[in-house]
Amino acid sequence: MKEAVRIQSDDFSQDEEIAALKASSRRIGGIATFVGCARDFSEGRDVSQISFDAYGSMALSEMNQLRLDAIQKYELLDARIVHRICTVTAGDNIVFIAAGAEHRVAALDACRWMIDELKLRVPIWKKEITPDGEAWVSPHP
Amino acid sequence: MIDVLFFGPVVERVGSAALKVAYQPGMSLQNLRDQLSAQYPHAFDIVCFSAVDGHHVRDLSQPLADNSEVTFMAKFSGG
Repeated sequence: MKEAVRIQSDDFSQDEEIAALKASSRRIGGIATFVGCARDFSEGRDVSQISFDAYGSMALSEMNQLRLDAIQKYELLDARIVHRICTVTAGDNIVFIAAGAEHRVAALDACRWMIDELKLRVPIWKKEITPDGEAWVSPHP
Repeated sequence: MIDVLFFGPVVERVGSAALKVAYQPGMSLQNLRDQLSAQYPHAFDIVCFSAVDGHHVRDLSQPLADNSEVTFMAKFSGG
């Protein structure tokens, strides 16, 4: 089975990730997921590609800690975080987050919290490649 | 020596992803930042976070050990 927290260049399968989460506990009654994907338009301009850079070892360590923090804070039964580091085009998957809990409220709250915290804590940067040039992205709220 | 790493937008402003800086006994993270920001002011305009050996460090008075890996980073934009 794949690790619950991963950085990879290849795409991920949401079905496989959810199946892995469900396999971790039969007490799970609610699973919330977030998928971040690439847009073809941002800040008033067309975007043809998005590339990522990361401080890989620290990013993975922070993502693992983020998962543990979420499990503790929301009393989750399990959680998974996968982030791609590569170059993607519009519609491609970027990040997957899943939270499994006994009930829906904890799963939904934890999923939202994890993606918000990931953006604050995990050293990953994205660059938008447009027909007019390239620009590193300022964090979005 | 101190290994200094840069990523993303900071790399482009420094012109390199890695530098080596001579270690001085008693050197702090602030000392290193001051030294590098004088050399690369345009890069340090966007530096918001620091890490030592892969861990966030907010107290820049932290002393550095020889052979530390230090990173000065811009705001993150993953996800």
